[in-house]
Amino acid sequence: MTEHILPVGKGGASGAVNDFLKGLLSSGKVKAVLALQTTPNGRSAFPVLVSDPDKMRSDVFTPLMPVSTATILSRITKTRGSDDPIAAIMRNCELRALTELFKLKQADPANLVLIGVDCPGTFDLNTYSNFPGDKDISSAVLDPKEREKFLRSACRSCADPIPGRADIVIGTFGMDLEKGILVSGKTEAGQALLEGMGLDAFKDDGSREKAVSEVREAADRSREKHIAEHSDIKGSGKIADFFESCINCHNCMKACPICYCKECLFDSAVFNMEAHKYVSKAGSKGSFKTPTDTLLFHITRFNHMILSCVQCGLCEQACPANIPLMDIIIPIAQNAQKEFEYIPGRDLEDQLPMIFYKEEEFESVGDH
Amino acid sequence: MTEDFEPRVVGFLCNWCSYAGADLAGTSRIQYPPNIRVIRVMCSGSVDSMYVNRAILEGADAVLIGGCHLGDCHYLNGNYKARRRMVLLKNILTTLGMEPERIWVRWISASEGQRFADTVKEIVDETKKLGPNPMRARWDV
Repeated sequence: MTEHILPVGKGGASGAVNDFLKGLLSSGKVKAVLALQTTPNGRSAFPVLVSDPDKMRSDVFTPLMPVSTATILSRITKTRGSDDPIAAIMRNCELRALTELFKLKQADPANLVLIGVDCPGTFDLNTYSNFPGDKDISSAVLDPKEREKFLRSACRSCADPIPGRADIVIGTFGMDLEKGILVSGKTEAGQALLEGMGLDAFKDDGSREKAVSEVREAADRSREKHIAEHSDIKGSGKIADFFESCINCHNCMKACPICYCKECLFDSAVFNMEAHKYVSKAGSKGSFKTPTDTLLFHITRFNHMILSCVQCGLCEQACPANIPLMDIIIPIAQNAQKEFEYIPGRDLEDQLPMIFYKEEEFESVGDH
Repeated sequence: MTEDFEPRVVGFLCNWCSYAGADLAGTSRIQYPPNIRVIRVMCSGSVDSMYVNRAILEGADAVLIGGCHLGDCHYLNGNYKARRRMVLLKNILTTLGMEPERIWVRWISASEGQRFADTVKEIVDETKKLGPNPMRARWDV
């Protein structure tokens, strides 16, 4: 691992990272950069693929995640890996989701250089686009009061906001952002990119490490609080009530970086029946709500994706009915992943729990 | 819970072992409660959680997944995979507080007619204690 300092000038932290990415692109070491950039009128920000260094206008610290960059990279590399090096700037939940997609063979790691950034959290889409114009949104996300008010619940309970599996990590926690940002090369590919960029070595005084552990502890506390606050959503009746306003649009599934099936069973014609079968179905309970099978969709979706769930909360953000999905997804994911001793996105070598088995395990199931 | 509550049990039985075991119980004229509705599947490993969830949400009072004994699977390891899948399903239902005890997994071989009959009796007895599935009353799921 090599650690450097990226000097911060007039353009602030975001400008410094932009200059760094521009430098990468002009050096020819990467052919394209995928980084978050605000839209022309400033109401949103999306990952933008840039190949011309003069068009590099990234804002990687914009506190918004309209889509997971993992989903975008899957789309770009699924049929065939990249021939040329592409650098992608990602938050840790996106990196973890991408690792899961690599395992699921839905993305190709060839020639991808992954640059992780520390993430203080993101705001909901509508919060962001309606944010008062007189306030600076990038600093609002660092202000404890504003955070409490506006942060997405997934970000508030984030399992780890510091990038894990990345070639390069851009660190802001514990750094004096008026002076410099930490840039560390974590892998050989990352270190090779940083060579010759003329960056000073990082002098470690322990404040980075201290800040990182504080951030993690705060996230753990907030996570426990979140779980405790919503522990009463339990029982068949309460779960049915929880989803009562669901309009069955499947947006949660479409926004989810893990739900990758080309055609989801629930989007297929499997549940369509002839009229007389609907009438006889009504007969079994006396009546039924349409569209049908809403709760079935959610519970089955949990069964299919929860072990790889990185709890990015994009499902909740995508919900037009404002169902606070993270209230139940966080505990479900935590318990299920614990049962299978699996941490999604930690390591490419960790096998997906549903593709293997051991002869001696879970012995209470099946016999008595 | 009413005294005349008769649980409805949906059984997904694998073609090679549990289904044949149920068949043997029948041909041997072993008596067991008529509460189970059997669906033959080719392997317990082919039972997606969706089928089980569907049965529960439609109001089944219990669901049985029957497969070959471990090591005896006709497809070598389908029952091991079924076990993992059902552990996950039960784990999720536990977190949601949705009565995971209504889901039963049993390995029953083709020669175990008695074990099949005993299993059905046990499921029916236990489910009677548990009472009807509350989802039967929910028309809005």
